[in-house]
Amino acid sequence: MRHPAAGETPPRGAPLVVQGLVKRYGRRQVLDDVSLEVRPGITGLVGPNGAGKSTLIRSILGLVRLTAGSVRVFGLDPYREPYAVRQRMGVVPEDECSIPGLSGVEMVRYAARLSGLPGTEALRRAHEVLDWCDAGQERYRPVETLSVGVRQKVAFAAAIVHDPDMVILDEPTNGLDPIERQAMLGRLTTLARRHGKTVIISTHVLPDVAAVCDDLVLLARGSVRLRGSIADLTRTARPEQRVEADGDLDALQATLGARGLPARKVLDDSGWMLLVDATEPERLALVWPVARETGARIRVFEPARRPLEEVFVEALQEAEHAAP
Amino acid sequence: MPLHDVGYRAWTGHRLGRGAAVAVIALTGIRLAWTSLWLRRAVFFAWTPCLVFALAFFAFEQAVEDGLLGAARPRLRIDQAIDSIGSLGAVLTDTLAGRTWAGGQSVEELRRTVWSRLLLAFMRAPQAVLLAIVVGLIAPALISRDLRAKAWLVYFTRPIHEWDYIRGKLLVLAALVAAITMLPALALWIMGVLVSPRLDVVLSTWDLPLRIIASSLTLALPTVLMALAYSSLTMESRIASFAWFATWVACWIAHGALTTADLLAAEVADRPPAIGFPDGAMFGDEAFNRPPPRRRPPPSGFRWLRRAAGLDQEIDRWSWVSPYHALGVMQAAVFGFERRPEAIIPPLVSLATICAVSSLVLLNRVGAPARN
Repeated sequence: MRHPAAGETPPRGAPLVVQGLVKRYGRRQVLDDVSLEVRPGITGLVGPNGAGKSTLIRSILGLVRLTAGSVRVFGLDPYREPYAVRQRMGVVPEDECSIPGLSGVEMVRYAARLSGLPGTEALRRAHEVLDWCDAGQERYRPVETLSVGVRQKVAFAAAIVHDPDMVILDEPTNGLDPIERQAMLGRLTTLARRHGKTVIISTHVLPDVAAVCDDLVLLARGSVRLRGSIADLTRTARPEQRVEADGDLDALQATLGARGLPARKVLDDSGWMLLVDATEPERLALVWPVARETGARIRVFEPARRPLEEVFVEALQEAEHAAP
Repeated sequence: MPLHDVGYRAWTGHRLGRGAAVAVIALTGIRLAWTSLWLRRAVFFAWTPCLVFALAFFAFEQAVEDGLLGAARPRLRIDQAIDSIGSLGAVLTDTLAGRTWAGGQSVEELRRTVWSRLLLAFMRAPQAVLLAIVVGLIAPALISRDLRAKAWLVYFTRPIHEWDYIRGKLLVLAALVAAITMLPALALWIMGVLVSPRLDVVLSTWDLPLRIIASSLTLALPTVLMALAYSSLTMESRIASFAWFATWVACWIAHGALTTADLLAAEVADRPPAIGFPDGAMFGDEAFNRPPPRRRPPPSGFRWLRRAAGLDQEIDRWSWVSPYHALGVMQAAVFGFERRPEAIIPPLVSLATICAVSSLVLLNRVGAPARN
């Protein structure tokens, strides 16, 4: 993802292009010159409450009247061709929304029919996606009696039942237990990687973003404060390689240092580890024979990343300082 | 893992248009509304007046079949001639046939008029009241419940325009209105055909089904638009329900009060002055010899039937105040019993205003949560 320069024509393939989006409600400015480009894959849209995420999503759907700027979804203007755009989109809103009186499967079927699927096909497809979402027999209960987790599955199934090209999810893991959360993230990954969908997740849960997202957009006070691939954003100031190993880390650190490959020992959520200087990446191959020599068994060997939380807080603090 | 889990698969079938989405909204709305026991009871009771009117049709046709009507024609006293059918026949002939009778009229013409008046009375008197009750049971929840459950997100994140949503909801109510006004009235017409001596009465009454449909639409359009507008103004269906019934009752009372005030004013104008006499003539003979004000003869037959069947010739100048009375005038116009512009235009303008304002409110309110 990158910020398109003014007047620059966005690349043809970008599923979502937002340029200079401004939205005011009376005197309150909710979005201030928001420009971004979303590529296929999973993009995390994060930001504190009131940052303008929901308004941005509604703008993408063509629901709110824009003060200025433009939105293109698959090259279509959602304000001129809202039906063509919405046919290619699926949305899981943050708010629980349902039609009281319908069962889970009826709800998904209803959503399918509203999107234009014929009756029988809609029912078949509803069962198919509910099976994929592991909704079980709960699908036959009225939606208002379902647990939050199952309701979330039904909402997700309703969003994808018509096979949209872009799926927007607002807090998709809300109310899910850890196993269901993992399963939901797995489904999103499948949609993006195997089926080529563009998935946008609006969430506060940064570990979810770190786990599945390719790109990140941070909104604060109605402006884009941070954008880019997760890999770029979490890159450390100095290139370092993260080495987690079982065995004597002190010996490994000392031997690497003696061979001209400095390393520092740090502690994080995963336990103690070494961050090895990767200024000269070709020298990193030395780590493996040294580990063998010192009897250490390497478990993790990957470029070191800054925690996403740190990136997030830093960007917000910058936004706070920049605010008038 | 479910037995039939085939994973996620792409779907490349043919998609239906927005009209199908409107039909889906309507059908689902009807199905959900029909789960209400109160609605089922109300619709059941809405058909019961049919029995009374079916008897009236039967009584009239029996008179025709027995030749009583024909025998009575020279005497122009058909009400007495068919008394033997029973009180219903007497009421029917006295109220409808007797007052409709013209010397040279054929039985076919008389039948057509009597049937029209019966159908008008049926739709205007019991069905219009029942309609207000049934719509009041269902309509308030139709949009307010969606607002409360945030179901608008289900609709407006899909290829559906706000007007499609409104049309779907209107169809839900229109179907219910048709079920309690149009369908029973059409059933009455069919029954009339079946109990008539010859089936060729269809030819002489062919326009009545069309008038029934038109009358039902006249009844449905302003009422369902107004009911949905109320529903869209609040998340609490109870408030919408209260507003709906309050409108009907308050307007009815206002109409009654204004009409009564007119009658009182007319009576005062007819009465001699209580104090003093014209030209200063005190205790003059003129005052005592003045004839008493002429009173109208008391109406014969059932007054409600006479009024509902459009036999009152006086123009109700306050009909525009009350939706019920305005709709009554318009229905009489649809059945061809009211042709005077001064009687039709005020209620027509009133109902058109209701439709326009309700449509604007609906369009504005339905999309409001998505826009904000």
